[in-house]
Amino acid sequence: MFKYLLVVIFMATVAMCTAQDCKNTLKGKITDFHNNKPLELAQVYVEEQERTYTSNSAGEYQVNDLCTGVYHLIITHIDCDKKSIEVIVNQDKILNITLEHHINELDEVQVVADVHDDHATTQNATRIDKELIQKYSGATLGDALETVPGVSSLKTGQGVVKPIVHGLYGSRITIVNNGVRLQDQEWGTEHAPNIDPNTASSIRVIKGSSALRYGGDAVGGTIIIDQARVISKDTLMGNAILTGQSNGRGGAITAGIQRYKKSGWYQQANITFKRLGDFEAPDYILSNTGSQTAATRLAVGYKQFEYGLSAEYNFYDTELGILRASHIGNTADLVRSINSGEPAIINEFTYDIDEPKQEVIHHQVALNAFKRFRNLGKFEFNYQYQLNNRKEFDVRRGALSERAALDIDLKTHNFQGYLHIDASDKWNHELGLDAVLQTNSPDATTGVRRLIPDYNSIKVGGFVGTQYQFTDRLMIEAGARYDHYSIDAKKFYITSRWESLGYDVRFAQFERFRESIQVYTEPELDFDLFAFSSGVQYSFRDHFDITFNVSHSQRAPNPGELFSEGLHHALATIEIGRLELNKEVSNKISASFHANYNNWDVELAPYYNRINDFIQLVPNGVQLTNRGAFAVYEYEQLDAVLAGVDISASYHIKRKETIKRTPYNRTINVTKNWISLGAQFSYVYGEDVKNDKPLIDIPPAQLLTKIEIENVFTEGLQVEIANQQVWKQNRFPDNDYEITYAADNGNAVTETVEISESPDAYNLWNLGLAYSIKSQNNKPNLSFRLQVNNVLSTKYRDYLNRQRFYADEIGRNFIAQILYNF
Amino acid sequence: MKKVLRTTTALMMTAVLFVSCDNDDDNPDIINPEELITTVELTLTNDNDATDIVVLEAFDEDGEEGPIAPVVRQNGALTANATYSGMVRFLDASDPADVEDITVEVRDEADEHEVFYVTDVAGVAIAKNDVDGGGNPLGLDTTVTTGAAGSGNFTIVLRHEPTKPNDGTLTGAGGESDIEVTFPLTVQ
Repeated sequence: MFKYLLVVIFMATVAMCTAQDCKNTLKGKITDFHNNKPLELAQVYVEEQERTYTSNSAGEYQVNDLCTGVYHLIITHIDCDKKSIEVIVNQDKILNITLEHHINELDEVQVVADVHDDHATTQNATRIDKELIQKYSGATLGDALETVPGVSSLKTGQGVVKPIVHGLYGSRITIVNNGVRLQDQEWGTEHAPNIDPNTASSIRVIKGSSALRYGGDAVGGTIIIDQARVISKDTLMGNAILTGQSNGRGGAITAGIQRYKKSGWYQQANITFKRLGDFEAPDYILSNTGSQTAATRLAVGYKQFEYGLSAEYNFYDTELGILRASHIGNTADLVRSINSGEPAIINEFTYDIDEPKQEVIHHQVALNAFKRFRNLGKFEFNYQYQLNNRKEFDVRRGALSERAALDIDLKTHNFQGYLHIDASDKWNHELGLDAVLQTNSPDATTGVRRLIPDYNSIKVGGFVGTQYQFTDRLMIEAGARYDHYSIDAKKFYITSRWESLGYDVRFAQFERFRESIQVYTEPELDFDLFAFSSGVQYSFRDHFDITFNVSHSQRAPNPGELFSEGLHHALATIEIGRLELNKEVSNKISASFHANYNNWDVELAPYYNRINDFIQLVPNGVQLTNRGAFAVYEYEQLDAVLAGVDISASYHIKRKETIKRTPYNRTINVTKNWISLGAQFSYVYGEDVKNDKPLIDIPPAQLLTKIEIENVFTEGLQVEIANQQVWKQNRFPDNDYEITYAADNGNAVTETVEISESPDAYNLWNLGLAYSIKSQNNKPNLSFRLQVNNVLSTKYRDYLNRQRFYADEIGRNFIAQILYNF
Repeated sequence: MKKVLRTTTALMMTAVLFVSCDNDDDNPDIINPEELITTVELTLTNDNDATDIVVLEAFDEDGEEGPIAPVVRQNGALTANATYSGMVRFLDASDPADVEDITVEVRDEADEHEVFYVTDVAGVAIAKNDVDGGGNPLGLDTTVTTGAAGSGNFTIVLRHEPTKPNDGTLTGAGGESDIEVTFPLTVQ
């Protein structure tokens, strides 16, 4: 009723402002809801005109000569559900339409009146489409995610790329694959997500904790990997991508095939193999940075409209070399390395991967069943088993090098029940219950004390969420979640450490027995975690919309933060976890202002995240040992503020073309994309408000600009020139410390270890050339891409690369790709 | 459809079995670090006086990961203008009942190791007498000569995977330090 009243008021206003005028145009773009791909040959039937319009290859349609008033449109496309929309026309108007490209998913059809990246949430979110994922086929998930405004990477060399969302990474980011959270020892700064991006059909990045279905502790954000949609017709689809690159002298091959039957049975398979040798900086080879990755995904399922079952297996196996020169003995070695400005070890190029290196294998088995209930919604049950085995090989004495210094099996069972109540047009409710059982078992035969102890943990939680569509323009949502997390560990501490931390008094109840220089303990810890999120989305007029979201999330300290106790050879540090850590509590406010007018598309997304009891490694002096001096870092809690803004803007210059269309041989005027100019800017301010110091590892301000020209000389040829400007991070905490060591002449030298200062600003040029040969109905198609990154082979170091103390980033890289879709 | 249901049920039962198998209540085994060097010991014997023995010893009771700093000891001063034979030993004495001599390993893997000695005491010179398989200095067996009386620091560094051959300096050798201990030294 409220809605109709609004309409009436609105129309009255409209009537007063504009005289009856029948020269209005309604145009827009019709895209697939799931991958944002334009839908060609979609039919737009205007009831009042009794005429049908068809979308062009870019998915664009245009309806001319509309009078002011209310129109009813019916949009249809093969494989998609018919959709009716009511529009109020009072001036020229853009109406973009997304269709659910699947006839079975009637309830999930969404019609949105704007080109927002992702309308499912009131929190700022971005979707990476298949085309972009394919461009990064030979790279890592982290590299593909970096294209999203507000996302950057914490790297160790080139192979280990961890996504940073709004300045946060690791356990503060939830990565969801197949509807369940990835459990792959994400607590380590040198642990990259164990996912092959080639299996994804699209990736959603939600910049905050509002995706409560997947957990309430995503203080930084949630990354959701979406798999290919199931189609209910007899068809066979697939793709293959071959990538070769000059830097690393290797490449990747990936292939996927999907078979669908009208009966509902389907099979999907993907396979990827990647091999790279040593990377090269402009002036030298980065010795021992080769890698090798193999991944497969197999899925089989049966899907009807009312029920369905599926089983899936994912396998990921990677071997990654770590820059040989970054493995050092003590802080004196570190000082020598920083002073020399060049890696201490530079060998001939090789594909061989030696110590130090990582070997990670991830298995994931997923079972899913769903049943739809009439007038209620969809009930889903998920079970997943994940086995993550991580081995790290250090440079050790003699034959010990062949034995892993760290060898951890992490086994996770995940049970999830989920109910989506969507029977009402306006209301949309979700609720779910889930349980995560985890067992961590480090190998006892490594000959190196366990960095992370044996533990069993249980997390049981539930959530409710609701969305209410007040009017076509106003949507509100709210949700809450509760989790109980308990972790029982079995850990040997060095007795002197146990005592120096005061744990022999404070945690005497955990102590069991003492042996040699170690003490055996059984810490048992519990955390209650609560989260909520609420937001509103409102479209003013047709070209402008805003979203606003407030969320609260709580994160329990991860096993690394609680229990780690040992030496890190990467920076000659001893890292100490703390049993007394409390949960981390975040309150985040975010908004987005989005305008789409004429050929402009501009989005401004500011946020403010206040995190109390923010867990961070804080330097705590230097420790002397027989091996020399080490910097000691302890996990401590401080209060942090992370505030920032992501801005993106694009401007499209289009050109008109007259083309003939079957079946009636009509001539239609279409506008085609010609030149696109784009810019993306991100800035994060991170402050430790407890100690009035900047936070460490906050991404520096960055500006990406690019120009894209389509159909340059010939149809299908596309040129892209991109520039990346990364400023110097001027806000970093001063963690420098002094050490005294023996110089070559025997004199004792006292020197400051300069580990705090950020590297200088840098500017990179990238060039891309793409050509695609399309057949009649877009399939099959063959395309070629040539990309040159760091065209000028600029020498630079990045603040967020943990190897910046030892070596430059990689130089010029030619990447050639052949893509085939059928 | 029935078949599908049956398969799923079977799979889920298997899943539950997995869960129940995972919980074991045994204590994990203790890991005694195999590369631990608690003790560095340099014995210097005067070539002309077998009773003039100076021992420099650094003992780190809780190893490199423990917070307790190594205790550095030495029994007396070197005689001026003398020649000493030096033998260095690396020990794992974390279990006093079973002291392990790591020097044996260093000697066996001589190609991957070299011991360096640096001092700022004027007139003290160190010559390495032993070589590895490639004919490059190893440094377990040394000759230390003293000049005039004086005092200062004496540092022993064991490098793992240094550049070989190298220029004999710590900077030139590269590799990573497995041991780096500094002793006060007096020549009188």
